[in-house]
Amino acid sequence: MPSWLGQAARRGLLTSRYPVAPATPAETPESARPPRPSGNSGVPVAAVDACPVRALEPSGVDDGKCIRCSRCLAHGLGYSGPVEASAATRDALVSRGSAPPLPAAKRAPLADFGRSVHVFLVDVGSCNACNLEVLALANPFYDTTRLGIFFTNSPRHADVLLVVGVPTEEMRAPLLRAFEAIPSPKAVVAAGVCPISGGVFAGNAGVLGPLSDVLPVDVFIPGCPPTPVNLIDGLLRAAGRSRPRGGA
Amino acid sequence: MDLLGGVLTAATVGFFAAAGTGAAHRTAGYAVALAASVLLFVASVGALAFGGAHGIAWVGPLGETESLALDGLSAFFTLAASIVWIATSAYSIYYDDQSSSLLSVFYGLTLGAIALLIACTSWVYFLVGWETMTLASYGMILQARGPSGRVFDAAFVFLAFGEASTLFVLVAVAGLRFASGSFLEAAVSSGGILPSVVFACALVGFGLKMGVAPFHMSEWLPIAHSSAPSNASAVLSSTLTLAGVYGLFRVLSVLSGPPIWWGAVTLGIGAVSVLLGALFASVSEHTKGLPAYSTIENNGLVLVALGIALIARADGLTDLMVFALFAAFYQALAHALAKTAVFLAAGYVEHSAHTFDLNSIRGRVKGSDPAGFAGTVAAVLSLAAAPPLAGFVSEWMILEALFQSYRFTPQATQFIGLVAGAAVALAAGLILVAMVKFLGFTLLWKPAPGDTARPTRGLGVPIAFVGAVVLGIGVGAPWVLRFVAPSVGAFLGTPVAAPVGGLLSVPNGWSILSGSPFGILSPPVIPLALAAGGAVAFGYYALGRRAGSRRVPTWMAGSPEGRPGETYSSFGYSTGIRIMMDSVLWTREIRTRSGDVTTAGIASPAVYNVELEVLDVFKLFYDRLVRFGDAVAFGLKRAVMPGRLGQYLVYVLFATLFVVIYVAAA
Amino acid sequence: MTAAPWTVADRDPSPWETGPVAAYGARDGTLTLYNDYASGRAILWPGPAAGRASELVALWNRRGNAGRLRPVGPSEPVEGYGVFTFPYGPISMGVPESGRFDVRTYGERILEITPTAGFKDRGILAALVGRSVPDATLAIERVAGHLSAAHVSAFLAACESAEGRDVPTTELWVRALAQELQRIYNHVHVIARIAEAASQNVGLAQTHALAEEVLRLQAALFGHRWMFGGLVDGAALRKLGPRERDAAAATLRRLADQFEELWTLFLDSRTFVDRIQATCVVDRETALRWGAVGPTLRASGVPWDDRLRQAVPPYTDLYLELPKESDGDALSRVVVRAEEVRASFLLLEQLLSRWKGEIGGREPAAPPAAPGRGLARVEAPSGDLVYDVTVRDGTIRHVGMRTPSHANWPAFAVGLKGGVFTDFHFAYESFGFSFAETDG
Repeated sequence: MPSWLGQAARRGLLTSRYPVAPATPAETPESARPPRPSGNSGVPVAAVDACPVRALEPSGVDDGKCIRCSRCLAHGLGYSGPVEASAATRDALVSRGSAPPLPAAKRAPLADFGRSVHVFLVDVGSCNACNLEVLALANPFYDTTRLGIFFTNSPRHADVLLVVGVPTEEMRAPLLRAFEAIPSPKAVVAAGVCPISGGVFAGNAGVLGPLSDVLPVDVFIPGCPPTPVNLIDGLLRAAGRSRPRGGA
Repeated sequence: MDLLGGVLTAATVGFFAAAGTGAAHRTAGYAVALAASVLLFVASVGALAFGGAHGIAWVGPLGETESLALDGLSAFFTLAASIVWIATSAYSIYYDDQSSSLLSVFYGLTLGAIALLIACTSWVYFLVGWETMTLASYGMILQARGPSGRVFDAAFVFLAFGEASTLFVLVAVAGLRFASGSFLEAAVSSGGILPSVVFACALVGFGLKMGVAPFHMSEWLPIAHSSAPSNASAVLSSTLTLAGVYGLFRVLSVLSGPPIWWGAVTLGIGAVSVLLGALFASVSEHTKGLPAYSTIENNGLVLVALGIALIARADGLTDLMVFALFAAFYQALAHALAKTAVFLAAGYVEHSAHTFDLNSIRGRVKGSDPAGFAGTVAAVLSLAAAPPLAGFVSEWMILEALFQSYRFTPQATQFIGLVAGAAVALAAGLILVAMVKFLGFTLLWKPAPGDTARPTRGLGVPIAFVGAVVLGIGVGAPWVLRFVAPSVGAFLGTPVAAPVGGLLSVPNGWSILSGSPFGILSPPVIPLALAAGGAVAFGYYALGRRAGSRRVPTWMAGSPEGRPGETYSSFGYSTGIRIMMDSVLWTREIRTRSGDVTTAGIASPAVYNVELEVLDVFKLFYDRLVRFGDAVAFGLKRAVMPGRLGQYLVYVLFATLFVVIYVAAA
Repeated sequence: MTAAPWTVADRDPSPWETGPVAAYGARDGTLTLYNDYASGRAILWPGPAAGRASELVALWNRRGNAGRLRPVGPSEPVEGYGVFTFPYGPISMGVPESGRFDVRTYGERILEITPTAGFKDRGILAALVGRSVPDATLAIERVAGHLSAAHVSAFLAACESAEGRDVPTTELWVRALAQELQRIYNHVHVIARIAEAASQNVGLAQTHALAEEVLRLQAALFGHRWMFGGLVDGAALRKLGPRERDAAAATLRRLADQFEELWTLFLDSRTFVDRIQATCVVDRETALRWGAVGPTLRASGVPWDDRLRQAVPPYTDLYLELPKESDGDALSRVVVRAEEVRASFLLLEQLLSRWKGEIGGREPAAPPAAPGRGLARVEAPSGDLVYDVTVRDGTIRHVGMRTPSHANWPAFAVGLKGGVFTDFHFAYESFGFSFAETDG
């Protein structure tokens, strides 16, 4: 006789230990990490030419543009960047060769949200994959309520505006209304390359450009789409509780 | 005649004088009525405090000394009426802007008639006052501004029910005269079927005026359909029905030893009225129809309390009887006052926004008059039975009394008490919906920018006055209860002290106790607690202001705020009730369609028109009755007066024959 | 060259109220595709749609009057006393995507509902013109990320047909594998959303976890949780060796068992079933009248599945059961989806067990609909997906598409009339809509 309780008991504990423990390989597929040149060399010219979104420069990789298309893998790059790739500034997303990214410029610390943040999700033109990854944060594998990250249904209850998708003309006004409706102090998180740089849609008709042209962005989470682990990292950073650890 | 009696006489005469003055100058008429109301108030308070007032006396047709006088019972009702009239008269001075002065004349006449019928000690003048009141009110309704056909129909319905009421009251009075041999309002102690006949006729006759089920159409239709002037509506709905309550109380006070079924019937009719009134109020979209339905509910509550008292009296439960009577009196008072303020507010809204339709007011009068606003809030919340207002105290007492119905001996009355309790509780929820809707869609709604009406000066003060009284008698309930003890005593024919001990007690003047193991309520503590909470909230608010606050538009899921046609309608607010209660309300959707379906943006005039209608099934019954009456009358006319000369000659022949035979026999 | 998956008509097959139903109409009127549900065949008409079909085609191809916003359902204006518009969206957590619904109501009851799309219009199709096929594929993957396998498969098939390129059979098998995985994910996701709306929180968590495991399996096989970049020939992260395939088969067997148990529990739950039973009924007539596709159509009693009707390898060689219901309500749609999850597990089991060693050979592409113009159809999770691609010299010249969301919006708007507000989420989720693919 099947029962909900029996189902749940048999499946046992599914929840990830991240970020207390490093993320497991199952939680971090290749696409969870930005590409980096192998060894100490710079980015090969062939890779720069192969990149369809100009994320690669001879000097380094712009995580805020990389859509994980894997074309550069044939030219000496590998998905070996950090899982904790989120950053508080756009510049910090650009890595210089194999050297660690430049220390972020001194910046006013984010508002103190105590031990929990309430997140309001706004989709300004996503392909829905980012939305579903954010939704996945609630599933038993990630269960972000254990980290004090909650999703609200109204901007009036929110601390963090989580924006996914490339900002479109039609969503500009609703987005600004949502931002206006969130009480201060508040933080804006751009999740995925679409709001960071436009991704594959940069320059399309009806697309506005980077989110930072519309709103002040506090945290950038690269990825296409960012995996749940990437999102947790970014949201903890927004909450002022970032504890970077290397992935497994 | 004593001093208070002189004041009473002057007040009564003053109302008729107001009618006369009004014919010459309408504002002066209202001013005289205001003065007379103040005199009546003084006389009533004096009579309650000093045990009565005796005014002008005269010798009646049967050689009995009749007079204008106030005992505890009548003083209570003149007190309630005088407070109402002070407000309505002052209000009318600013409100009445009609071209003719007829409204002022009929207004004075109505007030005078009601004062007369309450204050006189003779059933004859009671009837004179009753009929004058009906005719004068008919005159007031005819002054409505609505479409003339509708106004005339509505006034006619009022008159028809009014005359039916007079008929039943007449029979009841005749019965009393037969039993006591006197036209004076004196105790009757005769057994047999006669008292029951008198009671039944009184219940129907006065019930018709109170607008209780199944005669509630007499209440809502004239007010809602004619869009009668608001000062008239307030007088009609507050004091006309109060006159009905007084009549019923007066008749019951002279009949002793009621059988238990009187109480059961009263309780049953009351419970049905409460439920129907609340239900229809919650789905009404008319700023005056809604309070009119609420009147049905409130008068139903009076009957519920009275019914419990009658059953308890027959059952020998003196403590419960006294408690229920206190509740009935309190309910009548609370309703008369609060309802006045609501009707005055409706008139205020109509004056400013030029509509009676809750759907189209949309907050246009918001913020235009803080005093009137506060008074309206107090009155509406009182009708919704919100603490610490008068309506809350009376509803609490009635529910407490209903809880005690388990003590009734006959199981049938226990059952009726149980059902009535459920009905009253359900109605309390429904009336809350109605009152929130009234307040929300008239005064609280956020108006569209630029869509604000200019307020009419001077209308807010009377509303605020009544609101303050409603708050005062709510908070001061333990003291007011002591004050009206003479009224209950006069009703029972034996003095009653408050605290009376047993079930009801008012210990230390701060609380009301419904039996020591039962409920306790302390109206004065509630505002203190509210004030304390308010102070804390205000403290936070003040601190928050210092920290900086921001006003942002309402969050509408990303859509711009308040586009026309995108705000909730008053109708939509209560559609849930329309759908849930469709078996009682006879809800049906009427859908008409014109043109073809539009697709793909191809322009086409296709529009569905959808109406969700509810029906008062009793109106259907009366409509059928009228149609049947019309058919019978028409048939008789055809048979008796066909317009044929031969038939008329036969009538003349028979008449002559009859006279000849009669004369010969004599 | 294989046989064309349609017959070419010599006259417009459906100018009248009966007969074949429009399945796709080019915006410029050069081509119209019909489904003949009576004979089970598709009909191609090289001309503009007429009659009833033209209404549907105009609805799918509608552009906004001002800006990019456009209603995507039929509109029948409703007036009446107390009737007002209840705007819902574009940012509402009930619908995670950005789109607005204007509900005409007198309170409580939905008299008319007009979905408005275009908030997320990223101008994708127009921007494809001039790009190479591999570059265009990057954008096509991101039309709707959770439907990427269907979109990429249809797009690539249309390109291959336009260019007359044959394609390695392995690629077709990989596409089938990806599509069926994604079908399982999407159907399970729909069930999770409805469980959430019905406050079945334990069921929601379990279903959510199952969906996550499908994503992890996708990541294990394609290196990306949404299989972006995984369906192009020579994808760098594809890991479909024998060991991975065996592991995948084992995982799928476990998930299938889990799903069986979950689904039994859901069907036993009165709160779950009651809430979707008789909600948003789309009967057979409405479904055909408004051109509904996929589970919506099959739940209304019309058996049509592109995997059978327009079969390409490997579907031609696999056993596929076609679930069908006839009530047309949300429950029927959810039951059809659940049955399809079972069918997809079965398909994947067959696929993986037949996939021994390397699959050699190449398959010829379908004949072009016109010179240089390919028309391809794929049964996406929510129904028939059509791509119409014109390619010249390896460069995209024009792309047109009609997604299952386009096709099902009218049926949703018509079916929800007369429902109450609380029916909305159950109705909306049961269709499996995506604003992303509607907006493009």
